[in-house]
Amino acid sequence: MTLRLGRHEFADDATIMMAIVNRTPDSFYDKGATWAEDKAFDRVAQVVDEGAEMVDIGGIKAAPGEEIDETEEKRRVVDFVARVRAAYPSLVISVDTWRASVGDAVCEAGADVLNDAWGGADPGLVDVAAKHDVALICTHTGGAVPRTRPYRVEYDDVVRSAIDDTTAYAERALAAGVARESLVIDPAHDFGKNTFHSLEITRRLDEMVATGWPVLVSLSNKDFVGESLDLPVGERLTGTLAATAVCALAGARIYRVHEVVETRQVVDMVNTIAGRRLPARAIRGLQ
Amino acid sequence: MTRVVLVPGALALLPAYASQVDPLPELRAAALAAVRWLGEVPGGVEVLADPQGERVADALLEAAAVRRGSGAYLVVGNGSAKRSEKAPGHLDERSSAFDDALRSALVAGDLGGVDWSLAGDLWAAVDGIRRAADVIAGPARVDLDDDPYGVQYWVMRWGA
Repeated sequence: MTLRLGRHEFADDATIMMAIVNRTPDSFYDKGATWAEDKAFDRVAQVVDEGAEMVDIGGIKAAPGEEIDETEEKRRVVDFVARVRAAYPSLVISVDTWRASVGDAVCEAGADVLNDAWGGADPGLVDVAAKHDVALICTHTGGAVPRTRPYRVEYDDVVRSAIDDTTAYAERALAAGVARESLVIDPAHDFGKNTFHSLEITRRLDEMVATGWPVLVSLSNKDFVGESLDLPVGERLTGTLAATAVCALAGARIYRVHEVVETRQVVDMVNTIAGRRLPARAIRGLQ
Repeated sequence: MTRVVLVPGALALLPAYASQVDPLPELRAAALAAVRWLGEVPGGVEVLADPQGERVADALLEAAAVRRGSGAYLVVGNGSAKRSEKAPGHLDERSSAFDDALRSALVAGDLGGVDWSLAGDLWAAVDGIRRAADVIAGPARVDLDDDPYGVQYWVMRWGA
């Protein structure tokens, strides 16, 4: 399916690097490295330079912590979105928020995508996406409340749950007026899931791809990688890239990442192996 | 005079081996232009080539929208593939002299004096060229003479 993310369209075989840009003092991976607005802007410049087609700007870390109200979340992201929009007209701007009011404000400021990482916690978000004709990422959290960790969560079939919930969310968004080509589903590794769930989602990602909705994966440096390899944050790149390769082979379209260059190479290599992408320049043995 | 064209049998010219960036853009352009020139002759094009060269010829004919037949000739062949350290067959210092002699004969349109005995050793694809000995005549127009990957390529035309 041709993908339209706000102002931007992507061909059926295009894969997209969505670089994480945190406007937070406390996110798990960068620990506030881009908390200052200028640092966050530098991060945008860096990932654009590295080839990212898209940024995902977030004002609240996913894990529990200090309460960030709507006013503070807007203060962190709205003007920043406007600044990025002005500087990078061809960059896809996504904002990671579950709040409809924040979504409305960032769309006014130029956002193209609302990344609802908490799976429809605010029912008004679909209307905001429809109103602004932006894309919506429909994630699976198993009903988790925003900013909570999973505790003894179990599923009869986690993949079935992810497919049912995300496609139902996409259909709800469609009914609310969001364009079909602007809806993306995301199984949301580690959200409402233990490591075994995230591994199974990875192993069976082809079942999500088979729904026909474009699939986004957010794997980067997450705990399921750390627990699989017994490695702390900061030493999970290789494991992240292995999981990325599995998802790429299954046909994921969008990759939410900390490391753009490495992920792009893995995704391109896997898609070349899969026969979905031509080699860049092959002459060996063909002279 | 019968129109005849020589192109090399580089497999990178086949659609099955396409890349995002063509590793042989000049060769492809020159070969296609020459094949289109053959296509101006009524009756179609006869191919003189070894089996791999036949596939290269088919790809070029299809890309140029030229049909097979009889009226003109497309010859597929090339010089040594041992022209440098990085060449497919590594460096064989006899390559230059062999290719120089073959080039001179081709340009002159007279293959009678060529010593073919080294062709196998030097990985030169000459089956089609040898079969063309009786159909080329007179001086050749040389469209391309290059060895970008240690393989001697020529695109040449004979006839008017």
